[in-house]
Amino acid sequence: MPVTVIKSEEEYKQLIGADKTSVVLFSAEWAEQCKQVLDVLEDLSKLLGDKLQFITITAEEYPEVAMKHQIEAVPTVIFFTKGTAVDRVDGVDIPSLSAKCKKLGASATSDQPLEERLKALINKAPLMIFMKGDREAPRCGFSKQLIAIVNETGLPYETFDILTDEEVRQGLKTYSDWPTYPQVYVKGELVGGLDIIKELKANNELETTLKG
Amino acid sequence: MSKYTAKYLEEKLAKELDAQYVQAVDESDGCGGKFSVVIVSDKFKGLKMLQKHRMVNSVLAEELKEIHAFSQKSYTPEEWEKVQQEKQ
Repeated sequence: MPVTVIKSEEEYKQLIGADKTSVVLFSAEWAEQCKQVLDVLEDLSKLLGDKLQFITITAEEYPEVAMKHQIEAVPTVIFFTKGTAVDRVDGVDIPSLSAKCKKLGASATSDQPLEERLKALINKAPLMIFMKGDREAPRCGFSKQLIAIVNETGLPYETFDILTDEEVRQGLKTYSDWPTYPQVYVKGELVGGLDIIKELKANNELETTLKG
Repeated sequence: MSKYTAKYLEEKLAKELDAQYVQAVDESDGCGGKFSVVIVSDKFKGLKMLQKHRMVNSVLAEELKEIHAFSQKSYTPEEWEKVQQEKQ
């Protein structure tokens, strides 16, 4: 999800009033540092886009808004929950900005019922793998073997690192009635863990199963 | 660490699943955290792979909280016979 560029005050008000927590960058084109912060927000939006919305607004074009929030310098980032400013980062302070986004992102998860979140996650890609670590650096022997087998098929897939999200890690076990990781989903349906993938491969059914 | 042994798992699976054959191997060098199991049971008849594994997982629901690496091969007697033949 990219960073939304505000085009009207109305749009701004509507966005920050949403249930989803907003991260708003007050910027100016002439300020080089704003670009730096924007790049960071773009990266963060890839990580946290399902929990937070990322917005940028040109401070000088909306003086009333800027005045209201006492924007004295750009870049300034303000966090809004349902229209109320809950936190801010003045200037370029990337560590603080990342930490605050991650903290708000973690608490925002309770807004969306876990079941819906899990459903969205398992349907995120036609072939989804829930594992420890990621495809570049699997962090358990079973996940590693699984990735190696799936890579052989050449099929595209996405992964979710359950070590980064305890809520998903525990929740998905119950939701899918499957106690271990890795877990493989095709079109939102659980196929199984490593044992089943190995068996499918032995029976020459792996590719057709993973294609769904 | 877990308090389970291969023998314990074999006995429990044999009893709960009416298994004709169970073999559990402790692959953890004795700490009890990693097992691989082969189970042959009539109860798997007509079940899909996912359902067989679920059945075994549910028998060992408590144990799997502590065993962090568990792999299973679950066969019906017919499937097992085929596997044995292929091995020869």
